[in-house]
Amino acid sequence: MNLRAIGCNVSSASVELREKLAFDATKLARALAELPARYGTEAVVLGTCNRVELYLARSEEEAPVHSPLIAEFLGEVHGVSADDIRRHLYEHADAEAVRHLFRVTSGLDSVVIGESQIAGQVKEAYDAAQKAEATGPLLNVLFPAATRVSRRVRTETKVADGHASVSSAAVEFLRPIFDTFTDKTVLVIGAGEMGRLTLNHIRELNPARVLVTNRSPDRAATLAAEYGGQLIPWEQLDDALIQADIVLSTTGAPEPIVTRRRFDEKVRPRRGSRTLVVFDMAVPRDFDPRLHDGDRVSVFNVDDLNRVADQAAAERRKYLPAADAIVMGEVVKFVQDWNRRKDGPVIGQLTAEVDRLRESMVMPLLAKMKGKLSPAELEHIEGAFRLFQSKLLHGPIAALQEASRTGHSGTLRDALMKLFGLKG
Amino acid sequence: MTVILLQGIYHACFGLSYLVALLLELGRLARPARAWRATGLAFGIVGLAAHTFYIVVHKPDPATPSGSLLLLAWVLALFYLYGTIHYAKQAWAVFVLPVVILLVTLSYALSRPDTTSASLGVPTWVSGERFWPSFHGTLILLATVGVSVGFLASVMYLVQARRMRNKVNPGQVVPLLNLERLETMNRRALNIAFPLLSAGLLLGSLLLRHNHGLTDNWLSPKVLSTAGLWVVFLVLTYLRYGTSVPPRRLALLSIAAFALMLVALGTAHPFATGGAQ
Repeated sequence: MNLRAIGCNVSSASVELREKLAFDATKLARALAELPARYGTEAVVLGTCNRVELYLARSEEEAPVHSPLIAEFLGEVHGVSADDIRRHLYEHADAEAVRHLFRVTSGLDSVVIGESQIAGQVKEAYDAAQKAEATGPLLNVLFPAATRVSRRVRTETKVADGHASVSSAAVEFLRPIFDTFTDKTVLVIGAGEMGRLTLNHIRELNPARVLVTNRSPDRAATLAAEYGGQLIPWEQLDDALIQADIVLSTTGAPEPIVTRRRFDEKVRPRRGSRTLVVFDMAVPRDFDPRLHDGDRVSVFNVDDLNRVADQAAAERRKYLPAADAIVMGEVVKFVQDWNRRKDGPVIGQLTAEVDRLRESMVMPLLAKMKGKLSPAELEHIEGAFRLFQSKLLHGPIAALQEASRTGHSGTLRDALMKLFGLKG
Repeated sequence: MTVILLQGIYHACFGLSYLVALLLELGRLARPARAWRATGLAFGIVGLAAHTFYIVVHKPDPATPSGSLLLLAWVLALFYLYGTIHYAKQAWAVFVLPVVILLVTLSYALSRPDTTSASLGVPTWVSGERFWPSFHGTLILLATVGVSVGFLASVMYLVQARRMRNKVNPGQVVPLLNLERLETMNRRALNIAFPLLSAGLLLGSLLLRHNHGLTDNWLSPKVLSTAGLWVVFLVLTYLRYGTSVPPRRLALLSIAAFALMLVALGTAHPFATGGAQ
């Protein structure tokens, strides 16, 4: 296996850097086209608000791709200095990379342990890579396996129980601010999945109105219809902000859509002293963070929500050992299966080759002895050669299988192929 | 001197009870346990009982600095008890009890041997003969309760707003009332206190003019500081309803109003017992 998981997440890089490394559709398409072309790798790019990770697989004969190279690549794609990126990147190799992906997909590496959203995001990342024909034999097996492991972890442990996602953490921030919600207006900017998830939680507070606006009116209309909200044209965003008490913003805009100047000039004077709470879950951020004063305007970004969700995650952490045990079992199984998949043809060839040798020696002998010995005695001689063959092959095959289990079968496989004159 | 010493013992009795209740409440917040809360509440109730006993027996004159502060402390002690029971999980006592203890301490510091009606043998504050002065005193006392509630709501608001400004995880700190409710509490306290203060001041000025005719007393610190408090309230009302000043600034002004109120209460009354007649 020659697999690398290279990237940064909320623990290793600030939101500012992750903003710079965020992949929009254009950059993602470029990355998925250039990674295989330049480095001869299978590639999946996983970009969420909490992480940017590249899963890269190469054939075992080639040298692995390392993080400095990927830092340069990311720097080139995003226009950021590679030096600024390099020290924030982590790199997982082979079985450790498999384990990392399984943990990520199962939500065990998320800020909110057990969050379910990441499984969908991993699947989306894999689908995009597959569509771009950037995946190959290893990643095409690895990612479906990750989805299966994620399902197993969620159903067999309580690591995903309760409400401890980033989206539900928003409610935690609303309670110390508002007393009642039945007179409040919620404005959803953008039609992203995170906004939808957060709206699910906020709707449980029974707000008076839900307004939805988006650059693409079709997606906004769908969301508004789904939640019984009112569709607001994108051009009337300022008016909607004046009416809103709670804002959920999840656009994919590359720059802030509500700058301090825009808010101070067009929104603030017409809001009176009403409190506005903004959940800016977009990366890059949609709202100028300088708007936050904790009094009339409170702006919480993804990192703030992550911090709050940490507490809820503490409860889920109790189930981490059990979930990790499942993941480890699945990693071992995956690595064995992968190696077996490669060892299978070798074992098949070896068996066939020794079969051929045995037959080339036994058949002439049996032909000579025919008539001199009884059929039972001839059968006994043939059986003895078969037993000899089995005993001869048992050692090498068992050793190869054992080496596969530990992930170090490459050298032994090569030796067997040379010793028995097998073709690769 | 003996009377002062005796008053000191009385004040110490309920003041220390409130202090122990406060310390136990702080202990509860540091290490949550039912025993802390129950014991703290018990001390608070004992303090309030002793406080009530003192007021019933000694009938402090609300027109005196000591009496008015002690009565205000008693009302706020009731407020403490209500809040502690009603908002069991919140850090209510931590905000109210220090004010109660401060008022009790100030009351003792400003006490004089003749500051209780009982010491004069005349129950002035319920006397039918002194109905209008008593009514004036009651209006002012109720207004000061409003100012104090506004002050407490403002302090809690500033703490909560500070938490929000610093984006403190709400689940990791002692819960407080939400900003919206605290702002409402402050607004209602102002809405109630301002008319009461206005009516009390108007009645007081009429009494001063018609019953005493002491023109020099118009410039007494009591009258001036109370008038100043009224002006602060006027400004607060204008800022709240006439402008869109941030709630934090209104909270700061409410705290300033409370400080001014303490000055007003702590100064000698122009024509009451214990005043600078």
